[in-house]
Amino acid sequence: MTTAIEQLNAAVYLIAPELILVVTVCVMFITGPFFVTESGVATPGLRKRWTALSLTAIGCAAFVWYTSTRTAPAGAGPFRIDELTFYVRGLTLAAGAVLAVLFAEQIDDGHAAEGQACLLAILAGVNLTAIANDLVGLFLALELVSIPTYVLLYLPRRGAANQEATAKYMLLSIFSSAIVLYGMSLLYGASGTTNLAGIMAARSQHPEASATLARVAAATLVAGLSFRIAAAPFHFYAPDVFQGVSSAAAAMLSFVPKVVGFVAILRVLPLAGELWPAADSGDGASIRTLLAALAIVTMAIGNLLALRQQHLHRLLAYSSVAHAGYMLVGLAVGPASSPISGVGALLFYLAAYGVTTIGIFALLACVAGKGAPLQTQGDLAGLSRVHPAVALGLAICLFGLTGLPPTAGFTGKLNLFFAGWSDGTPLGRTLAIVMAINAAIAAWYYLRLIAVMFLDPPAAEGQPGKLFLGPAVAGAACSAATVLLFVAPQPVWNAAARFSALASP
Amino acid sequence: MSPQTQQLVLWLIPGAPLVAAIVIALFGPRVLRQRSHWPCWLALAASTVCAVILLADVVPATFGEHGAAASVVAAGYPWLDIGQMQVRIDLRADAMSALMLSMVTSVSFLVSIFSAGYMHGDRGYARFFAAFSLFVFSMASLVLSGNYLQLFIFWELVGLCSYLLIGFWFQRPSAAAAAKKAFVVNRIGDMGFILGIFLIWTTFGSLDFSSVLFDPDRLRQAGAAEPGRITIICFLLLLGAMGKSAQVPLHVWLPDAMEGPTPVSALIHAATMVTAGVYLVARSTPLFALSPDAQMFVSGIGATTALLAALIALTQMDLKRVLAYSTVSQLAYMFMALGVGAAGVELATDGATAGMFHLFTHGFFKALLFLAAGSVMHSMGDVIDMRRFGGLRKALPVTHWTFLCGAAALAGVPLLSGFWSKDEILAVLHEAGEHERVGGFFTAIYWVATATAFLTAFYTFRAYFMTFWGAERFPPEAGHHPHDAPPAMAWPLRILAVAALGVGAAASAGHWFATYMAHTPAMAHEGEHVFHLDLMVVSGLVAFAGIALAWLMYVGRPGLAASISRRASFLYDLSFKKFFLDELFLSILVLPLWAAAKLCYLIDLYIIDRLVDVVGSVPRLLSRAPRLLHTGLVSNYVLMMWVGLLACLGYVLGMMG
Repeated sequence: MTTAIEQLNAAVYLIAPELILVVTVCVMFITGPFFVTESGVATPGLRKRWTALSLTAIGCAAFVWYTSTRTAPAGAGPFRIDELTFYVRGLTLAAGAVLAVLFAEQIDDGHAAEGQACLLAILAGVNLTAIANDLVGLFLALELVSIPTYVLLYLPRRGAANQEATAKYMLLSIFSSAIVLYGMSLLYGASGTTNLAGIMAARSQHPEASATLARVAAATLVAGLSFRIAAAPFHFYAPDVFQGVSSAAAAMLSFVPKVVGFVAILRVLPLAGELWPAADSGDGASIRTLLAALAIVTMAIGNLLALRQQHLHRLLAYSSVAHAGYMLVGLAVGPASSPISGVGALLFYLAAYGVTTIGIFALLACVAGKGAPLQTQGDLAGLSRVHPAVALGLAICLFGLTGLPPTAGFTGKLNLFFAGWSDGTPLGRTLAIVMAINAAIAAWYYLRLIAVMFLDPPAAEGQPGKLFLGPAVAGAACSAATVLLFVAPQPVWNAAARFSALASP
Repeated sequence: MSPQTQQLVLWLIPGAPLVAAIVIALFGPRVLRQRSHWPCWLALAASTVCAVILLADVVPATFGEHGAAASVVAAGYPWLDIGQMQVRIDLRADAMSALMLSMVTSVSFLVSIFSAGYMHGDRGYARFFAAFSLFVFSMASLVLSGNYLQLFIFWELVGLCSYLLIGFWFQRPSAAAAAKKAFVVNRIGDMGFILGIFLIWTTFGSLDFSSVLFDPDRLRQAGAAEPGRITIICFLLLLGAMGKSAQVPLHVWLPDAMEGPTPVSALIHAATMVTAGVYLVARSTPLFALSPDAQMFVSGIGATTALLAALIALTQMDLKRVLAYSTVSQLAYMFMALGVGAAGVELATDGATAGMFHLFTHGFFKALLFLAAGSVMHSMGDVIDMRRFGGLRKALPVTHWTFLCGAAALAGVPLLSGFWSKDEILAVLHEAGEHERVGGFFTAIYWVATATAFLTAFYTFRAYFMTFWGAERFPPEAGHHPHDAPPAMAWPLRILAVAALGVGAAASAGHWFATYMAHTPAMAHEGEHVFHLDLMVVSGLVAFAGIALAWLMYVGRPGLAASISRRASFLYDLSFKKFFLDELFLSILVLPLWAAAKLCYLIDLYIIDRLVDVVGSVPRLLSRAPRLLHTGLVSNYVLMMWVGLLACLGYVLGMMG
């Protein structure tokens, strides 16, 4: 019998990439203030060095990620390493590198250390969510994402609007965390342990014991985590917050919480036992119906509200809601439906959505910089003549969000559609059809943006402004990845499809 | 060669032009400007080298006639693998595609060099080379496709490039109209092609060449089970081929396509893209071999087109149009050969080989003729009407000699390249004529082919004599001293002239071409190659007769042509006005369609549009209600989250019953 400390010591090597990130975070927080004067002024260009440090840490973590063990038996230990961990780590680190470059130009020199440190802490939190094998660890990981997010939202633009947005996000996020915590405590009550594998074992040994408690716990957890993925009706913060924060922060907010939310749901749902079975038992008595209802409401609300939006960030916020709905389709279809796993399709879609949405925010940022000249749809008019390359990149990413070839969005939607359709149940087919209709509605507002960029004359004549290098690089990388994931989706798809939620202990 | 190198070579052939196209499109207009040809040149040189390597690699140097093992080089990766649906990106080369690729890439390379001289100073210089590179990428990918779906995608992409390049000078209404016409006429063929692909899918459950074409058991089963279905597939594929390769009645777009820059006419509308239809039919030989009816139709269409186009070419005054009709006629020649399988399955392979051989040699000499015509146009200030200039042989010596080489090859002067390949076609047609059941049909086709050969020799040299002989005359647009081709234009002409003279003899020596082709899967050659000396003598005499008649009418007795055309003015008008086919199409197809379109437009405007507007306004109306909930107040948002939570809980508790 080993003590908990010994277990932890033995398991520490499993989280080597996250340790690298956290150590770097500590270094940044501790040394950061020494480079800044009391009035908050720093040497110009300091932010570039912090960004370089941040990228180095991400690079080291990625190296360790790629070379280290890819699966490890979970058992009673605090961590587990499986295909989902491998996939999420790769996704987070890749997105993290892009976001680090994107944030580099959006935070001033005096606050760059804190900004980059927050970003790294968030990345570590996302990975730990996928690694945690314990309810306590899972909750800590979720908070490791949430708390630095509040800071990161506020740092780039410290004005009244930004303040309001950050405060709103913080209050509602705390509320949702409380719901999650409540759900976890119910789960603990139902099984008597906080270890995920232990809960699973207890639930499978005595499925009838405390069945109601487990179901209520599952529903509560889904509700609480729906805030992170911005599913309706937990999405209300999204448009207000997106509108208030900078492009880089919005890019982070549209992607990272979604990953965290879906990963956490994938970890806790199997614990509810028969609530999330492989196939519909036929009487509709499964949580699939709940997830399907969430998916349909979320898709509809997101797309309908995006239709009339003029403000770009608000529009993209609603688009983010709608995309949460598409991904919920994969979740509702479930892990083991044949011949294509809904969970696999969901995980692939996360990657596809990530590159396109971060790409759009990056390209908006590379024209706007820290100021915000690109606020409404009208500001995009004639962009193709002023900055043709930016307009092209935006068009590619918007095609991606629409789901048109040749972009990752097409492949992702195709996967989800097939997952729903080939599921064979009326539920799956309904979801596939609703998704197709919603994708058609969504095309209207995405393509309208492209039309404005390419067909409308520029609002004002004059010298085109300078492009910001960091966001431009990030945007170019994302646009290229959007096309690349269409041309050669197999490596990512294989990694995503390898994970089967039910096979894990 | 190591497998890695082999893969690299395969990827580079289409890959290099694609990279060039992207580079030119991105940096051409602002950075490269008049240097935009460099990426294109480099990429096409790389492609050409790779194609030659591939040619040596697909079939080893020690290939032999008997016991020829079919060999295939393939690269690719699974693109989509969703559930039961697997889609692969396949690059696949065998002997047939390697031969075609070597012609396509080398001619493209030479034409790109010529273009740098020809297009010099044009405002759309970068745009031209970007589209040009994109075309070579699409064409190489088309030839390298390993399944029908991919073939179709690149089939459309070459069509798009053709559209872009025909309409290159889109400021001219005629160019824009010609581009549109080419696109629309091709759509008719493509409709057949895609229906054929659907039918292949439902019949074979696959679109891969390896399982559709090169699996004899499966083919035999499919043929035995549903012979009618195979015939329908063949007809549909043929419809696609007729559109792309400009066969009657879908040939009307090709002459108009001459509105594009002349190098484009040389490359796309003579040497490469238009031969894609021939390639498609030759590629699908195992399929066509199952359907004698479809093969008879192939030959019949070929014969009709060959004769008709040759007759039209007799009287055209526009040098490029003469060449365009001659292209139509020569493509039809290839189709005639592709159909001989109707007279026995063993002949199908010979027919396809002869057709591909003619495709190969035709690519060189027809590109040469077009480029030489372009050189004439260049020095004549863009005048191409043969009535407005003459006697150019002293002013433009290089152009004159190279044009003569091309014309002689096209006319089928013995020992030049056109002679060898044309002779192969005549030989297989003659052999098919000995078949007991359909022999009569093919004997008739053989005589049509011979007559066409005579007409070809005549109109080619008519154009040659009218342009280069007689009294020296320049149009005012040419200025005082027309200059001959600059080096960038002269060298491709010289190299192509050598190819036009020699490539046929080189490929015929020891039946090299046919032996090589026999390494294509399912095209193994059986039987001996026979040397048809009698047929050669006949076709040689026919060629000389045509040339002699042209000399007599346009050099020897200059008044003769005019007096003949006066006396047979009806026939002359029929030919000059292209048998009124354009007018016929206009009245029986275009005008009724236009009226129907107008009607549909009105229905669309007043009924459908209203409906769509109503449907479109539903989501907008629906979006009103949820908007009201977005108040901006945190307390309201928390309330909504409470409602959501309670709904979730209510659901699970209700589920418990």
